[in-house]
Amino acid sequence: MKIDCTIDGKTLTLSLNSDKPLSLILRENMGEDSALNHCSGRMCGLCTVLVDGKAMLACMVPAFEIRGRNVTTFASFRKTRNMKDIEKAYESVGRYPCSECFPSRSLIFESLIDEGITDPEEILKEFTIVKCPCMDPDDAVNIVRRGIEIRRKRNVRRPQLT
Amino acid sequence: MYEGLSSPNIHTPSNLSEYASTILHYPSSTLWAGGTFIMTRPEAYPSRTMNAEIIYLGNIEELHRFQRNDRSAEFGAMVTLDGILSTGKAVLPRVLIDNIQTIGSRLITRRATVGGTISTKDFTTSFPGTLITLDASAEVRFIRKRRLHSRWMPITRLLDKAGRIAIPQQGMISRVRIAFTDKNCQYFDEVGSFMLDPENSVAAAFTATLDQDILINPKIAFTYPTHGVCYSRDIDSIFSSLRFPLDDAEFSTLEQMIFTFVESSFQDISPLQRTRTSGIIRKIVDDLNEKALTISPESR
Ligand SMILES: Cc1cc2nc3c(=O)[nH]c(=O)nc-3n(C[C@H](O)[C@H](O)[C@H](O)COP(=O)(O)OP(=O)(O)OC[C@H]3O[C@@H](n4cnc5c(N)ncnc54)[C@H](O)[C@@H]3O)c2cc1C
Ligand code: FES
Repeated sequence: MKIDCTIDGKTLTLSLNSDKPLSLILRENMGEDSALNHCSGRMCGLCTVLVDGKAMLACMVPAFEIRGRNVTTFASFRKTRNMKDIEKAYESVGRYPCSECFPSRSLIFESLIDEGITDPEEILKEFTIVKCPCMDPDDAVNIVRRGIEIRRKRNVRRPQLT
Repeated sequence: MYEGLSSPNIHTPSNLSEYASTILHYPSSTLWAGGTFIMTRPEAYPSRTMNAEIIYLGNIEELHRFQRNDRSAEFGAMVTLDGILSTGKAVLPRVLIDNIQTIGSRLITRRATVGGTISTKDFTTSFPGTLITLDASAEVRFIRKRRLHSRWMPITRLLDKAGRIAIPQQGMISRVRIAFTDKNCQYFDEVGSFMLDPENSVAAAFTATLDQDILINPKIAFTYPTHGVCYSRDIDSIFSSLRFPLDDAEFSTLEQMIFTFVESSFQDISPLQRTRTSGIIRKIVDDLNEKALTISPESR
């Protein structure tokens, strides 16, 4: 099946099995092996990507569903201003995710910061999908809250500069 | 890897009549909703079946609709669990909200759909049990004499003798209707991981109105993911006949009766499931005891 989509800013036409999981597409067809997991149903939560800006588990998105959509992996997200905000939030709270879950957690932080979610219960619920125990729940909540402040400040500053 | 081995054909009907003609042409198609269950089966990819046909339900506009009146809410089968929470959190029964919230992350609830939760094959999610305690019903679409028919059925009627949801062949759930309830006792619990350790997990949903020391219209359903739903009017009647608070002897008798029924339906639940079921019954009864004791003496 021919699939037209945009992955990390590149417009592509891929020839794929229609039900191939996005996690395997990124790993096998895009050479994204360092960041993406494919745990075959073990629910590791380590395959998060942004599809049209929303965090999703790539192993649950079949090829036919990425037709015409915009996929952002951590490999390109890490170079964005939004990631800088998240790094500042990590630094400010003094906690970083471990190297294994860093990409997934950072993309989930991004979607929470983007939506402005501050309710601790909702934040923790979102992270139940990441099984890695490296981060304290309170730290995750503080990182989101700090990230929202940092993002807000940056968005306020930007119009003044232009 | 596996490219071209067996790439299923994807059909994307945009309304129910297109769906009907697709299913008539390809009667053994797999229906695809949010894909959260299909994609997490270890054997999901590559597809073992050659020339597989998939009907993706996501483009059928009718299946995304949500309607409500003052008595009930009706959800199209493709409404996501997150969609249910955002449209109906304030009005929907607590037991359903609690059930959705046990799934946790919106990375899942934004994709998993009402129809998909009911229709998983060889595996029962905790939702049918909860819907049974709410007297919910589902609209089933099925092909007869080459035409698409529809019928509303209580969820209990979708259970086969083994406690599994059995949707008629070539059938599809198109809507689910959930009545609003003012029952003052609603309880949902899921113990163990349904997805990672289904052989040892159990869920229970319970709804009733506690009026002074008796229960009116109690309903209780236990779900064992690899077995099915254990629901019986007989257990409901036992609850109706009790007067709360229960003492230890009464509790033991109740527990024994429930296990007799559970084990006659599912002979091989695991020891851990047994212990967990017992723990859930204890919690429900403790909660009912506490409520019965806190009712003001004047209203007794
Ligand atoms: C990380 C994770 C955690 C989970 N935790 C829990 C949990 O705690 N408790 C629990 O009970 N479940 C849990 N689940 C399971 C979850 O409930 C199911 O994956 C989900 O409900 C399936 O919905 P879906 O829309 O994605 O269905 P799909 O995966 O698309 O389909 C599931 C099945 O239903 C069929 N189908 C889909 N829609 C229809 C329809 N309208 N009519 C007829 N057949 C249809 C499909 O053919 C398929 O066989 C979890 C899943 C994940 C991934
Ligand atoms: S690869 Fe493990 S949840 Fe997606």
